[in-house]
Amino acid sequence: MAEIRSSAEERHEEALADLNATSREDQSFASAATKNRIDENLPAPPQNADTAASGDEIPRLAEHLFRHESGKLVSILTGIFGIERLQLAEDVVQEALVRALQTWPYYGIPKNPAAWLTQTAKNLTLDVLRREKVFREKEEQIAPVMEQWSSGLTHPEGRSADSELKDDGLRLMFVCCHPSIPQDAQAALALKTLCGFSPAEIASAFLATEAAIAKRLVRARQRIRDLHIPFEIPPDPDLTARLDGVLQTIYLLFNEGYKASTGESLVRQELCSEAIRLATLLAQHRVGNQPRTHALLALMLLNAARLAERVDNDGNLLRLKEQDRSKWDRGLIARGMFHLAESADGDTVTAYHFEAAIAACHCAAPTYEETDWPRILSIYDRLVELDDSPVIALNRAVAVAQVHGPEAGIKVAQELEKGRQLDSYHLLYAVLGEFEAQLNEFQKAVVYLRKALELTQLKSEQTLLARRLQDCEEQVR
Amino acid sequence: MLIFRGTDWHKGLSPEEMQKVADQWMAWFRGLMDKGIATAGNPLDREGKLVSGKKGRVVADGPFAESKEAIAGYFLLKVSGVEEAVAIAKQCPGLDYGTVVEVRPLLETCPFQKEIDAGRADAQLAHAAA
Repeated sequence: MAEIRSSAEERHEEALADLNATSREDQSFASAATKNRIDENLPAPPQNADTAASGDEIPRLAEHLFRHESGKLVSILTGIFGIERLQLAEDVVQEALVRALQTWPYYGIPKNPAAWLTQTAKNLTLDVLRREKVFREKEEQIAPVMEQWSSGLTHPEGRSADSELKDDGLRLMFVCCHPSIPQDAQAALALKTLCGFSPAEIASAFLATEAAIAKRLVRARQRIRDLHIPFEIPPDPDLTARLDGVLQTIYLLFNEGYKASTGESLVRQELCSEAIRLATLLAQHRVGNQPRTHALLALMLLNAARLAERVDNDGNLLRLKEQDRSKWDRGLIARGMFHLAESADGDTVTAYHFEAAIAACHCAAPTYEETDWPRILSIYDRLVELDDSPVIALNRAVAVAQVHGPEAGIKVAQELEKGRQLDSYHLLYAVLGEFEAQLNEFQKAVVYLRKALELTQLKSEQTLLARRLQDCEEQVR
Repeated sequence: MLIFRGTDWHKGLSPEEMQKVADQWMAWFRGLMDKGIATAGNPLDREGKLVSGKKGRVVADGPFAESKEAIAGYFLLKVSGVEEAVAIAKQCPGLDYGTVVEVRPLLETCPFQKEIDAGRADAQLAHAAA
């Protein structure tokens, strides 16, 4: 009897809520206030009208909701307040999140959490603007936007707001990646404002101190003010160069996430997702829809597909031949291949193209043994012409060994050793050790592997090398 | 009643951390409501009005408490006693970030009633003895 009464009561209250909601449909708390009554006869009503059916389930927020919404909202508000007042935009967004933090635990998650946050941020913004004299000065520019907002007609999910959001997001991306801002500050600023990371999280990702990151952010914001960097997508003549800068920053982000994604910090893995998310946004827009963007996106997706399988259950690094390919993310691989195809357009080829193609070769091989090494080598041959990084040359050495045998690989690697650029790079010696071991030259292998072990910092790499070293030492005896 | 004091403990938290705390609060409150341990709860707006003076003639804006002391919200619990309430208060997710939880038992009767009753009992004894 009690259950029937309570569900009828809920339905009645939901109907009331619907009536009250109208244009404020995102704030479905209207009925919630009446539910906080002490009533001994009824079982405690669920606090959230929207999940009334699943009374036992505790409603959860979508993963990273606050973080993603924070990034989106900062972009929009920067459009309103101006880029010089980036900090103010961030503060308003923070305040909106605080409101959510205070009320959602009691009243439950609103039907459309993102819309609720957006509406709250807008209300707070209107408050700020009204209070400030600036409002009168900028009234002409702001008035139409304000009108839209107060009438509640602009639904955050509607098309006009959506493209406005994307544009603002892109504008902010171009500002963050402005060439006058130091490279390390670019990535930090993008993570903070676009991706909603905290300075502490950024510090842990870049292995810097929080104070260092805070300094970089302050300097970046100052630079924006000093140079009056405009909040806009650069005009066409500048666009390609600036786009390269943006892509470079995104690539940097991805690498940071990939490098130490061996379980030491969850934040690092999320950097990869964020990089992919930003590049996807970029690729969907007229301005960023270039072959090089698709190439970068392909590269990231194809590498990310294998990320989870790099490490086994005990946190040990697995080499390519040891990874369980069935666990590679097929969805990401498919998306990656799609963007790889999209990138095969136009006359210009970039390093991203080649790196993506190499990743594709690995992803396409059903087993390690079936990897098309000759093709990979030919791609490396072209890549080294474009990019003289010694690390790429080392990777090429591995491909050489696969195609022409370990002696050929050793020759290439020893040339690199002579060049001295990789003196403190543990992988140079790990690779040399591996080649020597393949030739049964275990004495030589041991020397190289010991050197590699000295040079590596990461626990997981140390374990892998130590294991290999032990195998070789046993062969020597 | 659990009274939550402290309104700026969220300062300095990243969006991610705030979401984590929100999730924890939701689960905590929901759990208590579902079990019938909590019968009500609300957050409180930072500022309202202060009414004072004879016939409430003074109405001012306020309170402007120090953020550390400002009341952020309350839970109304139905428990066996203070110990159980304290045990529940210890689960508050805000504690890690500086929230202070005030545990106040509800009194069935006016606090002075006990004294009045005791006084009456003494008087009756005295009367009986006299």
